[in-house]
Amino acid sequence: MVTNYLIDGPITQNVIAHLVEKIGGRTESGGHSIFLGQVRAAEINGKKVEAIEYSAYEAMVKVEADKIKESVLSDFDDVNTVDIVHSTGIVKAGEISLLVFVSAGHRHQAIEACSKTVELIKEKLPVWKKEIFDDNSHVWKQNKTV
Amino acid sequence: MKIKVLFFGVLAEVAGTAGQNYEEVKSFNDLIQMIKDDYPEFVNYNYRISVNNEIINNDLLLNDGDEVALMPPFAGG
Repeated sequence: MVTNYLIDGPITQNVIAHLVEKIGGRTESGGHSIFLGQVRAAEINGKKVEAIEYSAYEAMVKVEADKIKESVLSDFDDVNTVDIVHSTGIVKAGEISLLVFVSAGHRHQAIEACSKTVELIKEKLPVWKKEIFDDNSHVWKQNKTV
Repeated sequence: MKIKVLFFGVLAEVAGTAGQNYEEVKSFNDLIQMIKDDYPEFVNYNYRISVNNEIINNDLLLNDGDEVALMPPFAGG
């Protein structure tokens, strides 16, 4: 269950399908843009990423995700809805850990606003990740700052 | 003042705890010094500080019951 933008574990097909169904009925929208962030089995120094463990400052995720939504809705006048879901806990390689779903009247702003939302999430959402390797070692990652 | 302090990411791992409550806090700078004394290893890490979910860049007046978080660089998405 998604609570304040967060879900424990990977984002499943059911979560994605539920959003498509819920948003799909809005007749003022002509285009939806969906971004799915997936855990990649990256190879680093001969070790493979098996999973990522995400942790979050939940109260602040709510504050920051609300601000991201508000800013995207304000900057893109054709956008109708912005939905964000981020995983916490363990997400294995090949599983989905981020969902951004933007609906707009037309495709151009749907795509641009979706991209903008992903960038704002990477910059502002108080979430941390630990890459767990196949030898059980781990490393803390951080996003590249612009 | 009683202040709740939270540690995130690598700081929580290094500290061995997700945070602790500090009693008898006189000021923001006083709190920061108490945390540094308890967790000297934090000097090896970059982090930002938030008070009641707002990132702060300077010291400020704390109120009893405030929540302070020490946050390493984000890695969401």
